Amino acid sequence: MKSRNTVIQQQDAARIHEILTHFLGESGAAEALLIDRGGQLIAMDGDGQALDAVSISALAAAAFSSTAAMAQLLGEPEFSVLFHEGTKRSIHVSTVDDETILLAIFDERTTVGMVRLFAGEASRAVGSVLGEARTRPKPQAEFAAPLSEAESRSPWTPPS
Amino acid sequence: MINYANRIIDFKIVYYGPGLAGKTANLQYIHRCLPNANRGNMISLATGDDRTIYFDFLPVSALTVRGFQTRFQLYTVPGQVQYNATRRLVLRGADGLVFVADSQFERLRENVESFRSLEANLHEYESTLDEIPYVLQYNKRDLPNLAPVTYLEFVLNRRAARVPFFEASAIEGKGVFDTLNTVSRMALASEFGVERERRHEVS
Repeated sequence: MKSRNTVIQQQDAARIHEILTHFLGESGAAEALLIDRGGQLIAMDGDGQALDAVSISALAAAAFSSTAAMAQLLGEPEFSVLFHEGTKRSIHVSTVDDETILLAIFDERTTVGMVRLFAGEASRAVGSVLGEARTRPKPQAEFAAPLSEAESRSPWTPPS
Repeated sequence: MINYANRIIDFKIVYYGPGLAGKTANLQYIHRCLPNANRGNMISLATGDDRTIYFDFLPVSALTVRGFQTRFQLYTVPGQVQYNATRRLVLRGADGLVFVADSQFERLRENVESFRSLEANLHEYESTLDEIPYVLQYNKRDLPNLAPVTYLEFVLNRRAARVPFFEASAIEGKGVFDTLNTVSRMALASEFGVERERRHEVS
């Protein structure tokens, strides 16, 4: 269940970046967000517009989970795509694997068909990278020793 | 989730409990008190009368530990009985839990039912409370007709490993940060070496 079991190493991040960049180039989408189904952002690439990517990830994962639950009520394993059409920008969300979804933000410079076509290809490639990352043992270096007293201090100070 | 590329560890903390126990009030107080640099926007998916219909969401950032920045994403679940399907969806991927109980005598049954639904929903993900750090918060201690803490402990904190608990009045901010700090430290500790706090800090 736990998303924290996923460890993204430098080389994973580089490969994911390469796949997402290729996806954006081919599909014409503006932004691509790779999101854990628990709502956590794994990676993003795009034209750098100011986005509240953390909030979008939480909401997209929730929306996708709801549609998956609705699919099950209809006897479907899942609805593999979720599409929200806006006046200027639209969102396409699709399945990568059991743990991950791919969200693309795009505008009138491309079409939902193009995004859908290349999202499938990108999802397979990213899914392969994540599959390898999940089977790799957790690196020991920084995580072997328990936290010291100083490292265990309270993260936040309540207002006095 | 641990990301070596940007040196960030993300945790998902879910506030669970019966309807009107004060889960949203916890997040609202945290949102009010933390400086902008340490928190993002709070999102509330609520009905017209401010009852949570899906979840509240508040991302907060904290310490850097061994070169990794730690970030905590705080969620609440909808407490009302009929929203169990959405409660289960919000639980997915939780790294830490806060069970917010309503301390009023007349809400004891709802607390117990909610706690049972938490266990059942975790079971759906093939997980249990033995695997996820969690704390109890006995909220609404500012109201009359309160059940004594010893009684709440007897009812809710009786699993083999007792967990930390906090008396709170979330609407006034009492106990809110004690709860958040402890569950965050427990989630963090579970990522490094042995998990220690879970075994003590119980008075």
